[in-house]
Amino acid sequence: MTLPDRSALSRRAYVRALVAVGGGAALSACLDVTRDGDDTDPVPSGTDDPDSLPARQHAWNEFSSRDEDGNVQLPAHHALVPVSLASGAGDADADTEAGAAAESDSATAPSEDARRTTETALRTLERAYEWSPEGLVFTLGYTPAYFDRFEGSLPDSVDLPAPEALTAREDPAFDEFDALLHLASDRPDVVLAAEEGLFGDRDELNGTDLETDLTGVFDRHDDRRRTGFVGAGLPASKTDVPGVPESVPEDAPFLMGFRSGFARTQASEDRVTIDAGPFAGGTTQHVSSMDIQLDVWFGQDNHHQRVSKLFSPTHAADELVGEVGDELADTSGVTDDGIASAEAAAREHGVVGHAQKAAQAREDGNPPLLRRDFSTVDGDRPGQHFLALQRGIGEFVRVREAMTGADLDVSSANNGILHYLFVNRRGNYLLPPRSLRALPPAAPNS
Amino acid sequence: MAPDDPTADDSADSADRTTATGAAPATDATTTATRRTLLRRTGAISGALALAGCLGFGGGGDDNGEEDGKESDGETTDAGGDYGGRQPTVTVEDPPNAVFLPTHREAMRVEEPVTAGEFRFVPMLSYPHPFWTIAGSDDAAVERETPEVGRGVHMMITVQDRETGLVVPVDDGIQFRVRSDGERVGSPVSPWAMLSQEMGFHFGDNVGLPGDGTYEVEVTIPPLSVRRTGALAGRGEERVTGTFEFEYDDEFRHQVIDGIDYLERNRRGERGALEPMGAGADGGDGSGESDGDGNAGHASEMDHAHVPYATVPAVDAYAGTRLVGGASAGGAPSAGADGEATAADELPRSDDAPIVAVLFEADADESDLARLAGDENRAQNPAQYLLVSPRTPYNRVPLPDAALTASTERDGELVAEYELEQTLDSEYGHHYGVVVSGTGSDTSDSESSSAIRSGDSVIVSVDSPPQVARHQGYETAFLEMEAVTFEVPDGAEGGDTEN
Repeated sequence: MTLPDRSALSRRAYVRALVAVGGGAALSACLDVTRDGDDTDPVPSGTDDPDSLPARQHAWNEFSSRDEDGNVQLPAHHALVPVSLASGAGDADADTEAGAAAESDSATAPSEDARRTTETALRTLERAYEWSPEGLVFTLGYTPAYFDRFEGSLPDSVDLPAPEALTAREDPAFDEFDALLHLASDRPDVVLAAEEGLFGDRDELNGTDLETDLTGVFDRHDDRRRTGFVGAGLPASKTDVPGVPESVPEDAPFLMGFRSGFARTQASEDRVTIDAGPFAGGTTQHVSSMDIQLDVWFGQDNHHQRVSKLFSPTHAADELVGEVGDELADTSGVTDDGIASAEAAAREHGVVGHAQKAAQAREDGNPPLLRRDFSTVDGDRPGQHFLALQRGIGEFVRVREAMTGADLDVSSANNGILHYLFVNRRGNYLLPPRSLRALPPAAPNS
Repeated sequence: MAPDDPTADDSADSADRTTATGAAPATDATTTATRRTLLRRTGAISGALALAGCLGFGGGGDDNGEEDGKESDGETTDAGGDYGGRQPTVTVEDPPNAVFLPTHREAMRVEEPVTAGEFRFVPMLSYPHPFWTIAGSDDAAVERETPEVGRGVHMMITVQDRETGLVVPVDDGIQFRVRSDGERVGSPVSPWAMLSQEMGFHFGDNVGLPGDGTYEVEVTIPPLSVRRTGALAGRGEERVTGTFEFEYDDEFRHQVIDGIDYLERNRRGERGALEPMGAGADGGDGSGESDGDGNAGHASEMDHAHVPYATVPAVDAYAGTRLVGGASAGGAPSAGADGEATAADELPRSDDAPIVAVLFEADADESDLARLAGDENRAQNPAQYLLVSPRTPYNRVPLPDAALTASTERDGELVAEYELEQTLDSEYGHHYGVVVSGTGSDTSDSESSSAIRSGDSVIVSVDSPPQVARHQGYETAFLEMEAVTFEVPDGAEGGDTEN
């Protein structure tokens, strides 16, 4: 990996590029540049008392700040690190039928050693960094492919099918590795350092000695590694990337130029938490990675058209949104009765808003998804890593179907934002409760 | 292999067009009749376009103070780009609120047709050029795309069903993925559904390229979601792909720039339309007015540049009872340019779009009715099918992705209202239709019958206009479309009606 050229980039663009590259050299460079900048505050350290941490891996909201409208502020920098069980992590002594029958490593259940090492390494992260966006939040999620190695199957209380294509126009690859580590922090150097601490050459993290790392347990899939960012100003700092036009609004938190994740359009953490069975306290996660034809979105559509397609034609006509969604406060403004249904909008306006369609999937007015997605310029192309938590993957699929709007009488170009997005990958994950986050079996209680 | 040499094709084409130009594309005699109205509406629209144009990408000048320290890398500020600034940038001042002659005929390179499953598509390449995107119906819903980068191509395809030859005129989410030496170039592209006077309905977009070279384009055609009838039923159910290659170099740029044919200044903006690509080869009378040519070719005509051109049938090519356009806000029937009325001239217009309405009935048009009503309605023994076909004037290009409603009135009372469904029929091509009456006996004497009968009025209203991007000459028409009223003539057999 070559490091980005410092002289050619703004500071923010350079740091973003370092996170994307990853690795020890990138971390050093990142530390150099952040030391020179504003981020000289020490990173708050974590806790020695694991019991003081929430039982849910996905309990981020109460540790996050909120904007003036009460919307949770996601950590600014993200890395998604895909891993598979290393060949040494299997249970060599297993004398079960499954163990004996399984010749390949991928079919071997993880050993207790691997499990202990994983938990120890994750606890080290929690000692090193405060559980918050100022420090570090993270989840470790497991694919259906991971659970295939176990003799038993996942309990009925966990809805975790293998990923599949969800629209007729897409032909995605699927995340079929074992697990995905999601690292998130407002500090890009923390995201890099945490990954280096788990997989690289470091002895300490934020002053905490590293007892162990994950190199013996997991192999990383570098070609599937993903990074991104969210927050006002970050997208506009990416215009060094081809395909990211200068016209991305300065205050936009996402590349598409508008706010998202409004408090009232987000499910609560309770709503997405599995409430029964051995994985109670966990949740499911869908990650889809997509390209955005951002130059078309900003270059060929005007603001009125963008608002029509992202929110609704009524939002555009009544100027409800503001430049980047600032007028909307804590809601997408799509109400049950206030704004005409997607179907009516299709006929009357020839355009249906993305938010309008998504609202159709609400249950009793409550959105079923907790979105923690972020923008990306991985591969030097604009995109989005759409990460959503929900109690079961079926709920995601239902929302996705509503957003596809296949039943709507509207042209593809005016069907929400379908025209601008190209899904490349999809993956489904179980995020177990913290107590089961280290290499859980498919049926923990049996 | 001269026939396949795009250069040869294009020069032949140009020669034909030059001939055709002498005979003048048709202009429209209704210009004077509604001039005042048009000017009033045009003023509003041009204002909006001019304003919207300021919001375009890159903004031209780097005047957002905070970004001053970070110059873009030159690609976006190189105004001339690869074409040396020779791309036409001229616009028509104060265009009419109707179809009008653009400033020039485009030149393009036509690549060999590519087979993709049940479809065939023809790739066409030109220089990046302006067009207008549509998302809604009011002024703000129209945006002029002005290509910022003079490097790259305007990439187009026309998609055709291989079995029936029908040009697919609806937007179901086609995608382009460009590669060079196996590496992806830029983001994937969802080309716009577009109307052009020369190319008819096609899919296209401006696509930036990093430099000269050979490019490969993978075209993805997703399953069709539009209702299909006749031989088209059940076709296009699979997602398919096809690939073409092209060279981007000096030769290409010379070809597409040198082939540009500017219209005389005083004719730009006149009501009228350029003839379809290759039309000159069919005799080149240059009338451009093909409605009266008696050609019932349902789907498309392959011209000598092997580019299929989407057309709907001429008005007298439909069996069934043609409904008669009454005086309506949509536009008054009038005589053609040469003073001789044709069936096409009688069509009522809505924002310059002629609209054909035909009623198919069980007793007279059984096979058409059965086909158009489709398998899904067979059980209810359909008795009537109402077909509505809005099209461009002059060239008979279908106007897809609109939302139309038909209501029937009898003695001033509303009898029924129907949302029309966009449909592709293997015989009559693109239209909006509905099964009106479900039971065969329903058409009898019952006063309350909803079946359409002689003396009824059928009002076709446009809930939203065709959501299709426009090349120059189409950007001010088919937007604020008023309802048109038809009368159902006496007698079951319609055919031509005189008024």
